[in-house]
Amino acid sequence: MSTPEPALRMHGLSKRYRHVPVLDELCFDAPAGALALVTGTNGAGKSTLLRCLAGLTSFTGSAWFRGERLPGSIATRRHIGYLPQDVGFPEAATVGEVLELFCGLRRAAPDSTGLADGFVPDADAQVGTLSGGQRQRLATAIALLGRPELLLLDEPTANLDSWARGSLWETLRAHRREGATILVASPREDEVVGSADLTLNLSADPVRGPHALAELATVRGGA
Amino acid sequence: MDAHVLRITRWEVQRLVRLRWLPAMVGLFAVGCLVNAFLGLRSLRALGLTGIGASLDGLVAIGVLLPPLLALVLGAGALSGARERDLLSLLAAQPIRRSTIVLGTFLAVSAVVSATVGLGFGAALVVLSGVAGATDLWGLTVVVLATLGTSVAAAAVGVLLGAVTSNRLQAVAAAVLAWFALALGLDLLFAGLAPGLHLGPRSLLVAVLVNPVETGRVLTLLATRSDPATLGPFGAYLDTRFGLPIATAMLGSALAAWIVLPVTGACLALRHRDV
Repeated sequence: MSTPEPALRMHGLSKRYRHVPVLDELCFDAPAGALALVTGTNGAGKSTLLRCLAGLTSFTGSAWFRGERLPGSIATRRHIGYLPQDVGFPEAATVGEVLELFCGLRRAAPDSTGLADGFVPDADAQVGTLSGGQRQRLATAIALLGRPELLLLDEPTANLDSWARGSLWETLRAHRREGATILVASPREDEVVGSADLTLNLSADPVRGPHALAELATVRGGA
Repeated sequence: MDAHVLRITRWEVQRLVRLRWLPAMVGLFAVGCLVNAFLGLRSLRALGLTGIGASLDGLVAIGVLLPPLLALVLGAGALSGARERDLLSLLAAQPIRRSTIVLGTFLAVSAVVSATVGLGFGAALVVLSGVAGATDLWGLTVVVLATLGTSVAAAAVGVLLGAVTSNRLQAVAAAVLAWFALALGLDLLFAGLAPGLHLGPRSLLVAVLVNPVETGRVLTLLATRSDPATLGPFGAYLDTRFGLPIATAMLGSALAAWIVLPVTGACLALRHRDV
C-alpha cells in the first residue's frame, strides 16, 4: 500500500535570529486532512515556524505545500490561512470594517469561515470595546476566510472561553474532514492532544542544538 | 489601479482620520493659514498697497513646514504601528504583494495630508478671495501645487522610514528628525559650509535638489515671482542659469523623484524584510 504524498513538507528548515538558532534542520511531513500540534517550551520556535510557512519570515532549507515551494506565489497564499498569536486591530475600527478589508483581500465571503453563529462579534461593534477573547475570535475568523487548505494557527484558543474553544475545535475538525492541513501551535499539549493527528515537538535537544529535534509522533495514525 | 491597493488605502484613511490628535493638527494648520492671510492683507493695507503678495509669502512658509511634518509622522507611524501590533504580518499573509500594502499606505497618507492642505488653504482663500485679482490666481495655484508636492514627498519619506525601522517609536523619532533636517538643518548646514568650503552655485543647487522641502519652497518662489531680485540666491541662480521653464521642470522632477524613490525603497525594504 503506497503512502499518500504529504500536503505539507519541510526539509532542513532552519531559522536564525542574529546567529542564534531558533529552528534547526527541521524535517516534517503532514498529509492533507491532518491536524498537527506544534508544541514546545516558550521560545522553542513555534510562532517562528508558522511565520516561516506563512511567508512572513525568511528561512533556509525548504518547505512545500501541495508541491509548491514556500513562500509560495500569491495564488498559493490564497489557500493559506494564518492566525498570529496576538494581533492588534485599530481600536476605532468596527468588526465589519475589519472583515470587509480581509474579505476583499482574500476575495471571500464573510460567512465562508465555517464558524458557528455568534462566534464572530457583532459587525457594528468597535474593536476597542471588544474583550481579548472577542478580538481573538475576529482574528480567527480572518484566518478561516475562504476555508484555506493550509491553516497556520498560533495559539488559537489562548483567550477563548469554553464555548468558543469547543466551537473552534468543532470547526477545525470539519475543515480537516474537508481535506485541510492544520498546524496549531500551542505550549499546552493537553488541550490539543485529543484532536491532533500529529505532534511536532520543538523541544530543546542538548545533542544537536537548542531546538533541533523535530519529533514526529503519530498520535492517531494520520487522517 | 489594483483594487487591493484601493482597499488598503480606504482602510488606512479610515484609521488615520480617527486619530485623536489629527483634528488638532489640521485645525492648527487652518488657523495658521487664516492668520497669515489676515496679517498679510493688513500689512499691505497699512502700506497703502493692494494684492495678496504678503499673504502668499506667509502661506508658502507655513505650507512647506506643517503639512510635511504631518506627512512624515503619519507615514512613519502607519507601517511601523501595524508591524508593532502584528497587523502587518496578518496583512502580509494575505494573497497580495507587499508593495500593495506600501502603496495603499502611501496613498492614504497622501490623501489625508492633501485634504489638510486643501482645508487650510481653502480657509485662507475665503479671506483672500475678496481682494485677489485674476493675476493672483496663478500664484495661489502654484503655492497649493508646490505644497501638495512637498507634502506627498514627505509622506513617501515617512512611509520609507516606517518600512525600515523596527517599531513606531523609532519611526516617529526618525520622522521628526528628518523634518528638522529638511526644514532647518540642511539649510543651516549648507549656509555654514558654503563660505568655508567655497561651495559654488552648483553645489548650492544640489543642496536644493536633495531637500524636498527646499525644492518646494524654491519652486514656489520661482513660479510666483517676476523680479529676480526677490528669488533669493538659489532661485536667482536657477533662473539666470537655466531660465524659468527648465528650472521649474528641474525642481518639479526633483520633487517627483522624492516621491518615487522613497516609495520604491519602502516596497523593496518590506519585500526583503521579515515582518
